[in-house]
Amino acid sequence: MRAIKTFFVVSLFLLTSLCQGLSFAKDEFSANDIITRSRLAFYYAGDDEKARVTMELINKAGQKRIRELTMLRKDYEEGGEQKYFSYFHQPSDVKDTTFMAYKYPDRDDDRWLFIPAINLVKRIAANDKYSSFVGSDFTYEDVSGRKPEEDIHTLLRKEKLGEKSCFVIESIPKGSSEYTKRISWIDETNFLPLKEEFYDKQKELYRQFEAQEIKDINGIMTITKRLMRNVKTGHRTEVTFETVEYNVGIGDDIFSERYLRRPPLEWIR
Amino acid sequence: MLRKLTEIVTRFPKATITMALIATVFFAMQFPKMKIDTDPENMLEQTQADRIFYDKVKKEFGINDLLVVGIVDENGIFNPDTLRRIAKITDDILKIKGVIIEDVVSLRTSDNVTQDAATLVVKRFMEEVPKDQKEIEGLKSAVYGNSFFVDKIISQDGKAASIYIPIEKKDQSYRISKEIETILKKELTSKQKYYLAGLPVAEDTFGHEMFVQMGITAPLAGFFIMILLFLIFRTGIAVIPPMLDAMLSVIWTMGLLIGLGFTVHIMSSMIPIFLMPIALLDDIHILSGFFDRYPSIKDKRKTIIATMKDLYRPMFFTSVTSAVGFGSLALADIPPVRIFGLFVAFGIMAAWLFTNTIVPAIVMLMNEEKLTAFLEKRQKKTSSLDKILKAFGRFSFYRSKAILFASLIILIIGIIGIYQIRINDNPVKWFKPSHKIRIGDDVMNKFFGGTYMAYLVAEGDKEDTIKRPQVLSYIDKLQNHLEDLKIVGKTSSAADIVKRINYVLHDESKAFDVVPKTQAEAGQYLFLFSMTGDPNDLDNFLDYNSQKANIWIQMKGGDNTQMRQVERSSYNFMKDNPPPKDIAIRWSGLTYINKVWQNLMVWGMLKAVLGSFVIVFLLMVLEFRSLRLGIISMLPLSIAIISSYGFVGLAGKDYDMPIAVCSALSLGMAIDFAIHYLQRFKASYREFRDIEAVNTFMAGEPYRAIMGNAIVISLGFLPLITSTLTPYVTVGTFFALLMLFSTLATLILLPAIMRLWGESLFKREVSR
Repeated sequence: MRAIKTFFVVSLFLLTSLCQGLSFAKDEFSANDIITRSRLAFYYAGDDEKARVTMELINKAGQKRIRELTMLRKDYEEGGEQKYFSYFHQPSDVKDTTFMAYKYPDRDDDRWLFIPAINLVKRIAANDKYSSFVGSDFTYEDVSGRKPEEDIHTLLRKEKLGEKSCFVIESIPKGSSEYTKRISWIDETNFLPLKEEFYDKQKELYRQFEAQEIKDINGIMTITKRLMRNVKTGHRTEVTFETVEYNVGIGDDIFSERYLRRPPLEWIR
Repeated sequence: MLRKLTEIVTRFPKATITMALIATVFFAMQFPKMKIDTDPENMLEQTQADRIFYDKVKKEFGINDLLVVGIVDENGIFNPDTLRRIAKITDDILKIKGVIIEDVVSLRTSDNVTQDAATLVVKRFMEEVPKDQKEIEGLKSAVYGNSFFVDKIISQDGKAASIYIPIEKKDQSYRISKEIETILKKELTSKQKYYLAGLPVAEDTFGHEMFVQMGITAPLAGFFIMILLFLIFRTGIAVIPPMLDAMLSVIWTMGLLIGLGFTVHIMSSMIPIFLMPIALLDDIHILSGFFDRYPSIKDKRKTIIATMKDLYRPMFFTSVTSAVGFGSLALADIPPVRIFGLFVAFGIMAAWLFTNTIVPAIVMLMNEEKLTAFLEKRQKKTSSLDKILKAFGRFSFYRSKAILFASLIILIIGIIGIYQIRINDNPVKWFKPSHKIRIGDDVMNKFFGGTYMAYLVAEGDKEDTIKRPQVLSYIDKLQNHLEDLKIVGKTSSAADIVKRINYVLHDESKAFDVVPKTQAEAGQYLFLFSMTGDPNDLDNFLDYNSQKANIWIQMKGGDNTQMRQVERSSYNFMKDNPPPKDIAIRWSGLTYINKVWQNLMVWGMLKAVLGSFVIVFLLMVLEFRSLRLGIISMLPLSIAIISSYGFVGLAGKDYDMPIAVCSALSLGMAIDFAIHYLQRFKASYREFRDIEAVNTFMAGEPYRAIMGNAIVISLGFLPLITSTLTPYVTVGTFFALLMLFSTLATLILLPAIMRLWGESLFKREVSR
């Protein structure tokens, strides 16, 4: 509870600062503020979102696997509860497979998977810290976000990444985690993460995230192409958000077992 | 021409030695560039079909080199304390640089998929260490409920757990295994034992032992030979020329090998040990002749020139035949064997050069007074050896018919023995049974599903073929068939994974522990599986397009015969139950690769032996200018080789890599005795013109030289018996045996033949 409270205070503070038209000098952001704002910009853009997403999983030999899905997201609380619904178009043998997740601020996600071949909805309990998202290099945590208070953040420096001025933040997990250190380059203007480096238990770089294309979608800066590369295995995942729409008014009922079994056609097309 | 050379080197002995030493320094300077290669795969040509396929399999299925740690607690590992230690050990191992973190398989790191109140639970077996009995029971039922992991990370009886540690690069395995050992020593108590296995560890240990062989056993053999030389000649000065010859030829050969950029393999590491005794054979003949003649000639230079004159031909031919014997290995399809053969051949010819240069030069530098004093003392007493030799000469001469008959019997027994030979090898058995690696291997094979890996690769004709139910259930059936074999411990495949998911999704009902009926089901189960763990969990079993599947076959033994048996059984199964038309199934994996090169080795060696037999025979015909003498000269070695191999067969020793190599080179070595015998016989027949008188003469100095050689060679290889690596032991023992047989065959059979047919054989010599 305390964590939520603190969190609320922080979010409020941030919102106020936003209302003030960013009149604050950027220097006064703490590392925690930056990470918190970055999370909101990246994972909580708009009130809801609909996107057609293509994932290309590419192994060291250059062979590809395609995952094509429509993703629906609805936020219930800024920085808090969210619901996700995904429908898979590709690969062909998993067509009609759907996946749903409820994200809570203070406990593990609830996840369900519908397996059309046996017409079965199954709840899945798996550790999102390390389990892969549909076989990609992204973990569930990468896809749905990690709570800022799980790490200790330090603002290392500010530097330019290409044309863009960035905060460079080091995050060290407080508890056990797949990574032992994360370095993030966060755009000073829109707080989107442009680059992230993950270091493993051997203190070596193993995964690297890159935002490759950023578009303004109805006034919301959105990363439309992203890449996660496992530098140790040579495996990489390229994600393209083909169409992104915000604030489309997704109903609560979409996120239910009924729609898992019978995907809402008007939403997934 | 050689006579000119002898005259020159005896005139300028110091300059000769200096020049040789300068050249030697150049060769010695190459030594620091030495690269060791212990990879058994290199027994096959880079372009060999099975090797290319194996490389492809490793790449496509992301198979890395694996270290395996086994932890055994006789009281069982299922108690909080032992489990906590295992967890800590695993956590620490993950921190070692070069370990592929996400692919480590163990209780601590592997995911289990289970069913819990309508929820599919994906959890590491031991995310948290169990604290009480209830949690321990939970862990137990989780592990034993997932057959995929039983016999793999946990033994059936719960006394042993293991950690599979894939590493990025094989050349780091030594460092990583040392770091793992430090962790194990720190975390375990005396109640638990640990074992390190896995090919990289074996290879590294092997590489290390090879250095030991070269650094300790070879010099030891050298020292041993020095003592033998001293005992034969009874003077210290006689030891120097042959030893210098041997050392220089070893340095030249190894220097050239390293300088040309070849790696030192198990085979080439044996070069010094092979070369040393061979290099000094001719020198013994020179010294023996020199000491015999000096008291009457009393001039060093004249004596050496006179001695050498008789020896040019036999020395040249013995060297060439030995070189041909080894050189014939170049016909083998196994690169390390080829290099070994060619370089030993080079070394033999280098030794021949030193015999003609360095040895007479050193003799020239001997102190004349000491030499005279020593030889006077020697002449006075007839040694007991001489008496034995004399008796020996008489025996073989007068019992000629009995000897021929006995030889025939021995030959027949030998051939019978050869039919008993079992062709078999297993690189792990290159370590002695008491070796740490062998013990670890035995223990791991006792507790787990087998440490010897082979793969069966099913390749479909298009994408997603493997997901077809017919294909998956065929793979499943094939696995069941193989698991019925006693030697197969465990098999794993994508079919097992699909079956597991099917079972778990259907509330763990036994009826669903089968391959699903539709491709969509299989595809969706695999998709579900890909959502639960690491992106590469499936890669070891299924390629990226689901076109190829890899079935892991863990065997409890790695003998070639065992591999052949499994292979044959799989082919029989496939013949009775033909696989779906759209897949092709092929064997691979290291245990299989070992079988492949061993097969090549056997036939390659046979080819090499037959090839060198023909060449040596032609050389003999050329040398004696007589077809009959050529045949006779081949007799003793034929009997020696046949009886040696017959002995191998009757003794039940496997025909393995070292034995196969011995066969090719024994030929070139065994002929030496016959060459010296027949050459000396011919020369003295010209002198005495009476077979009996020649025989009496032969039983003197020539026998002594031949016996000296036989002793040096057979005993010179003896230090190999102390080696920790069995190939060296085998080579040492087998060579001693072979030399014994061929000495006896030469000194018994040839005089017998000479008595019966000598006169007609050498008639032409006399009439000339």
